[in-house]
Amino acid sequence: MSFKKIYALLITMLAVALLGSMATAADMPDRVILDSMSEMFEAVEFDHTMHTEFGEDCSACHHHTTGTGTTDDRCVSCHATSDEVATVACRDCHIEAPFSSEHINQKSLDVYTFHIDRPGLKAAYHWNCLGCHEQMDGPTECEDCHTRTARGDAFYHINATGSSAEGGH
Amino acid sequence: MKHLLEYGIEPVDSHVNQKTDKSWSIKDKLLLGLTPGQYLGQALRNPFNWILAIILAVGLPLIAYRYFYGLGVVTHSSNDYPWGLFLGFGLFCMVPLSASGFMLGTAVEIFGRHDFEPIERLALLNGLLGYFFAVVYLLVDLGQPWRLPYPMFVSFGPAAVLFLVAWHVATYLSVQVAEVSVAFFEWIGWLGGKRFIRRIAVGLTVSGIILSTLHQGALGALFNYAPGKIHPLWYSAPFQWIHFFVSAIPAGLCMVIVVSTIIKKTMAWRCDENYLDNLDRCTLGLAKGASLALITYLVIKFIGVAHDNEWAYLATGWGAWFLLEMAIGVVLPIILFAYAVRHQVVKVARWGAAITVFGIVLNRLNTALITFNWQLYQEIPHLFEVIIAVTLFAIYVIVYRFLLYRLPILYSWKEQTEVAFSTEPVSASPTRTIPSQAYNMSRNID
Amino acid sequence: MSGISRRRFLAASIAGCAATTLAVPKKALASGAFSGYPDSMGVLVDLSRCIGCRSCEAACNEEQNLPAPALPFNDKSVFDQTFHGGTQKRRTDENAYTVVNRYNPEGSEPVYRKFQCNHCAEPACLSSCFVNAYTKTPEGAVIYNKNVCVGCRTCMVACPFHVPAYSYSSAFDPAIKKCIFCHETRLKNGLPPACVDICPQEALTFGKRKDLIKIANQRIQTNPGRYINHIYGENELGGTSWMYLSPVPFEEVGFDPNPGNEPIISHVKDFLSTVPMVLAIWPALFVGFHLLAKKQDGHDHDAEKQHEEEGAE
Repeated sequence: MSFKKIYALLITMLAVALLGSMATAADMPDRVILDSMSEMFEAVEFDHTMHTEFGEDCSACHHHTTGTGTTDDRCVSCHATSDEVATVACRDCHIEAPFSSEHINQKSLDVYTFHIDRPGLKAAYHWNCLGCHEQMDGPTECEDCHTRTARGDAFYHINATGSSAEGGH
Repeated sequence: MKHLLEYGIEPVDSHVNQKTDKSWSIKDKLLLGLTPGQYLGQALRNPFNWILAIILAVGLPLIAYRYFYGLGVVTHSSNDYPWGLFLGFGLFCMVPLSASGFMLGTAVEIFGRHDFEPIERLALLNGLLGYFFAVVYLLVDLGQPWRLPYPMFVSFGPAAVLFLVAWHVATYLSVQVAEVSVAFFEWIGWLGGKRFIRRIAVGLTVSGIILSTLHQGALGALFNYAPGKIHPLWYSAPFQWIHFFVSAIPAGLCMVIVVSTIIKKTMAWRCDENYLDNLDRCTLGLAKGASLALITYLVIKFIGVAHDNEWAYLATGWGAWFLLEMAIGVVLPIILFAYAVRHQVVKVARWGAAITVFGIVLNRLNTALITFNWQLYQEIPHLFEVIIAVTLFAIYVIVYRFLLYRLPILYSWKEQTEVAFSTEPVSASPTRTIPSQAYNMSRNID
Repeated sequence: MSGISRRRFLAASIAGCAATTLAVPKKALASGAFSGYPDSMGVLVDLSRCIGCRSCEAACNEEQNLPAPALPFNDKSVFDQTFHGGTQKRRTDENAYTVVNRYNPEGSEPVYRKFQCNHCAEPACLSSCFVNAYTKTPEGAVIYNKNVCVGCRTCMVACPFHVPAYSYSSAFDPAIKKCIFCHETRLKNGLPPACVDICPQEALTFGKRKDLIKIANQRIQTNPGRYINHIYGENELGGTSWMYLSPVPFEEVGFDPNPGNEPIISHVKDFLSTVPMVLAIWPALFVGFHLLAKKQDGHDHDAEKQHEEEGAE
């Protein structure tokens, strides 16, 4: 091979590597604002970049939807060779209102779906987060992540003093 | 009254004042022929009335408190024990003790045992007042007593056992009012009413038996709704209603014995010869019937234990309590009645009857309150609940006594001017002794 | 008694018996045969997911306009409360239609249990109500009509789960208080109840009851060792709309492990069947006794003897 050809190959490979890494870097958010319960709780700022340093690979949180694949026994039997999915944001598969009548009826009619027990968005967040947080001394109490608004304080009756009869007997 | 009787005062027992030949007015009849001053005097002199006055003074304000402030102020507001003493005692105990109405009615009118007639009216009145006051207790217990007629007229839940109880108690009260009204019609002098009732007496009595069988049983069936909540020794899935119905029989009969004894000891001046002379014989007759029913009850209770294979429970604490209830409330009266009938000793039969009444009350309280929720915790009724229950019972006693003093239940009404009809009961005493003589005679009777 | 009225009475009683026996027969449905309306909804309560945050209690309180509680809903000290000599945990009452309690089974992390009305297929409360105050709706909720309730509290005695509470504090407008599956505000509009909506852990799964059973079985199967292999409420007491999965044996978290599969009404059906029998048989039986007991004129041995004696005098 001539020097020119080797040089062209090297440039192409570098370009691909650069573009490839740029592509993933561009898709991956640095911070995610979780504000679906903004009425009662201030938005939760999720530091995505920091969390990518904890997990071995993306599948720790994103299951089999990314190129790094999954090793979870429960998933590999079907998803070992699954392709990357177009978007890997939680809310694309875990819907915000899993118990709407439309969704329930659709699930009831759809007899071929295996994942009839797919959690909604709230549960997906909490299950994915709390497991590691408990093991790694992360935030585990509700208040550690969720700051209540005034409306939230009223909802939980934060100012109840204990003078009236408590629900019980 | 003893004081007045010694002065020769005679209480009203006919339409016409024997001494003055003037008709008694309703007011006179109500005051037993005494002047208001005399009546008040005898009432104030009676120490029993002092006790009643104290009970009413404490209890009536509490009843008002309950109505104005809700059940929560006189009960423990328990959601685990929704039924307390008002139903546990007032309904579940008073109703079987009032089974005397249909028992004596059946004996006399259906089976033709007219030898029990001297106490028939007392048994009918006992039945009426017991059911009536069971409804009064219910009115204190219900969350919204003004809605009492709802299951009859507004909204029907016919699959519910309580629906049957409501309808039957309402209908049976009418039957009993009709049966007791015979005495009332005599007292006010409307013999047309009396004749009408006498004509339908068999129909009324048969209705009474049907209704009583079903609602005495239904009160037991109510507990079938809570099979896990009552201790197995007091609950039998297939037989609960039969146990309640069969035990109501000795309950009613023994209540008549007890009440008639109390009357003999405290109100003999109001009783005529027919009553006093026949009372001992009738008592022993009732005792025979009660003992048969008690033996049957003992057997069917143990059949219930065998049927569900509950023998192991007898070895527990609750088992000991069950055996105690059976021993004192059932076996002991059987022995006492057997002795009393064999040796014709009425006093022993009376003791047996009192113990039976206690045994029935204990059984109902055990089922409804004491062994109820046996796997949870024990609940003692609120003091106010106890006081109100006692107060309502005191009012029951007052009404009972009021009617016994006036209506011809314990004595025969003297009809000087009426022609005897063939439908009249065979109860008129042959010799018309004045009550004070009968009273003196009774003091010699043990 | 005169002959005329006896005849009339017999005629009337026979007519009465005929009337009861000739009533048009309806299609018979045995108890325990109704497993719910076909598209009835339900909730699967997964005790392994509950973390005891009590948001469901807060949501219910707001949705049903209940009074403010004594302690804030995020106060976990309530889990240490006991009653009646330390024997009882918190239970539902007139101000709380659902409560969460904590259990500490041996060898396991704490398990939290939310409980409320289970909206049975054949409810004991409904069966025992003599004014028909309860209705099992097609959506699955067991709802209550306070406009006919008399306050007899038989439903409280009947409920095997000890759920209904009574507002004893009210003198003039007391009522039964219990979870109504948010029927008025949500369920009949196709929405999940407030507690399900708020639960951060999706410990509560809302859906058609028949689908929930499939989901529950799949959950047990795909998570080996995580659950006791039983869906509590699938068959218990005739089946309930609110069913439970538990990581530990059910009796360790406050459930009655053997309530039986018969709905409560099965226990009273035998007595209720006796009623028309007694109504039909007793009249003839006792009139018969009466006729047998009554002495017939001209055939009375004692009367004849008396006549003989009188004739001889």
